[in-house]
This record gives sequence, structure tokens and C-alpha cells, in this order.
Amino acid sequence: MALVGNLRDFGLSDFLYLVDRGYKTGGLHLAYQHEMALLFFEQGKLLLAVRRPEDVQAALLVRLGVLSAEELNRARSGLAMSADGTTLTQVIVEEQLVPRERLQRALQAFTEEAVYGLFAWPEGEFRFEQNQRPAHDTPVIPMPISVDHLIMEGVRRIDEWGRIKDRIPSTDMVARFLEQPREHLKGVKLSTTEWRLFARINGRETLAELAQKTGMSDFEVCRMVYGFLTTGLVEVQRKPRPTSRSPQPAEPPKVKKSLVNRIIHRIKDM
Amino acid sequence: MQTVKMVITGAVNAGKTEFIRSISDIEVVSTERRATDDTKMIKHETTVAMDFGRIAIADDLVLHLFGTPGQKRFDFMWEILSEGMLGLVILVDSTRPETFRETNRIIDFFVSFRETPFVIAANKQDRPNAWAPDELRLALRQPAHVKILPCVASDRASVKNILLELLYVIQENSEEA
Repeated sequence: MALVGNLRDFGLSDFLYLVDRGYKTGGLHLAYQHEMALLFFEQGKLLLAVRRPEDVQAALLVRLGVLSAEELNRARSGLAMSADGTTLTQVIVEEQLVPRERLQRALQAFTEEAVYGLFAWPEGEFRFEQNQRPAHDTPVIPMPISVDHLIMEGVRRIDEWGRIKDRIPSTDMVARFLEQPREHLKGVKLSTTEWRLFARINGRETLAELAQKTGMSDFEVCRMVYGFLTTGLVEVQRKPRPTSRSPQPAEPPKVKKSLVNRIIHRIKDM
Repeated sequence: MQTVKMVITGAVNAGKTEFIRSISDIEVVSTERRATDDTKMIKHETTVAMDFGRIAIADDLVLHLFGTPGQKRFDFMWEILSEGMLGLVILVDSTRPETFRETNRIIDFFVSFRETPFVIAANKQDRPNAWAPDELRLALRQPAHVKILPCVASDRASVKNILLELLYVIQENSEEA
């Protein structure tokens, strides 16, 4: 079943997070005004991203300078003679038409640039077709790439408060590390400035206090924390303010098990 | 007569009224709505989009169900609702990703300041474009221990299941005798 929505409401970084953590396989179709994009994922990792329909075709490799037209024809012939399920990328690598690393570098750079541009879209319809895979002759990245660092780079390109404030409504919030970020720490590459902030996160000081200590602006701090948040490295929460004079709801009294059991029995009988 | 409360909350059109209507012993008491957008209702301080239902548990015990908008501006309602409140159902319209952000705000608002037992009901699972509970967990970024349950608010059996699942959460946090 397709997941549909609009990037205005459910941002690209949120979607990439969902695909990554859900180990999703499928094709993400995006459309904004006259632009389009198509991203293929295999178990949460990115296989290819294109911004033009024709770029899903094998001729992309010639345009990128990875293969000559003659080499591409050889690859196509090899694909035609291969067993079902073999991909063009596998044929190219196995027949050593081009070193695997070169193919990886070229398609990865092409894909990353395609994705980064999408972060600038203020909105856009999306449709994720689960289990849709690229055609066998579509060139895909030999080693599919993690979306974590794509999210971080995309977030670096956000230049307005609106999107950030959805997740970080105020600088009174406190950031703290997730207890088990697991393997996601590996995929993220932080800049020096980001490390300066990252190293100061302690679960006690507010973002405003961190901004003061690091000499960064509130916006810079919030944007970086938004990146950490989106990649699942940290969580943010309101700083408890026990002395606040604003009325907070009282803790509910513990209820008796017998009372709960009576209600359960009644609901079951309905 | 002892009364206890459950609160049913969620974004606009999440299915709060329908949820309560499916299970209530009485006709649901709803605020008159002039517009489909609940937020328009609070221009006048006296008008709040609320629903009220009731389930008689026994001669001496009644469960009240309050459907309330999730917006922060309704925090004044907490004084009224928190007394005797057992738990919270947060309804989300699984077919409208544009409401997920608002749902997250609601979760944050209702849960951040207190240990409120709650479950998330992924409503409208009978629709073809509904996001599955597992997908909603990722979209709403909820940890594994938070129950996200499939729901069809118009179906009494489904609503019963949600209330029971919430009651099991409450049961875990309750004290003996």
C-alpha cells in the first residue's frame, strides 16, 4: 500500500528517517510544481535518486562519464544474457567494465546532489510505493548508502525557522542523548562546529544556555540540534520548571487495581 | 457514586466524537460546531469543542469519556479533567500525514509534564490509504513501549479494544487493593 502525503506536512528528513528505521524497500515519488524526483530504497538504504525521468535509464552512466557508449552496449548485452534478477550494476562490476569504487563514487555523488536539492522544496506531493524496485537496467549504487548523513547535510541547508520550530518550539528545551543511538552514530559525519555543540549536550542546559556557552546564535544551535534530532542521536524535551508559577496539572493519584479490574470486566462484557 | 474519567484527544477530525459515540451508554453531548476547524471555536472563550459520553460500570461507579481538542490553548481544561482521570487515548487520523505534526504536539503537551497512562489509536484503518501502526510509530517517533493500536472509531469492537488496551496500561501502574 502506498504512503501518500505532502512534504509541507511531513518533511523529507522525517520521511528518510521513517524509511531508514523501518528498513523500507520501495520507490519514493515526489512532485513539486514542474519538478519531479524518484528515490529507490532497499531495506532503508538509498539505491538511486533522480530528478529527471530519463536518469533512471542506463544512459545516465554515459552522461556521468562512467562508461563509454560502447562499454554500455557491452553491459547491456551481458545483462541480456544473464539470469533473471541480475542488475546492470552487477554486470558492470562483474565484467569489470569500470572499477566498482568509481561506479560507487559517481552514482553516490549524483544521488546525493539530487537529494540535497529536494530539501529546498517548501512542499511537494509524495507517494511511497512499497516494494517498488528499479528496473534491472537502471543503474544503482553498488553499495546502497545510509540516509543518516543525507539528513544531516539536508538539515544544514535549512535556512528558515519554520521547519525547525515544529520540532524545537523554543530555546528553553533541553537536549539529551538517546540511550541507544546504536549504529546510527556511525553514519553521521559532524562538522567541527557541530562537534563543539554536540560535546556540550548534557541533558541539563537549555539550548539558549548552550548558545551562550558556545557563542553561537540561537538559530545555529537549534538548526544543529534539529539535525541531531532528525538523525535520531538526541531527543529534546522541556526543561522541568518546578518553581514555575504557571499552573501545572497535578500528578494523578494512583488508582486501585480493583477499580481498574471492574472497569475492564464491564468493557469486556459490552 | 464514584466517577472516573478518560480523555479522548487528537487533532481536528481525528475521530474523537465518533469514538465516544461508538461506546457511550448515552447520546454523546457535543458542543455545537459552527465550523469544521475546532480552532475557530475558541475565538469566544466560552466555546470549547468538547464531547461527553458515559459508561455505567456498576451502580456505584461511572466512567465518563471526554473528547477534547489537543491544542495547548486548552490547558485550562486540565484542572477540570485531571481530577479522577484514569488515562488518555490519543487519536490520530492515519490517512492524513498533515496531522501527524499536530499529533506530536498533542502527545508532547499531554504527556511531558506528567506520567499519564496513554495509548495512541491509529484511527481510520479501514481506509485504503491508512498508514499502518508501525509506520505511524516511526512517523510520530514513539518508542516501542508506547502502544500504537489499529482503530476504526465507528466500530464498537475496535473502540472497546482501545479502551481495554489503555486499561491494561493503567492496570500496570495501579496499586493493589
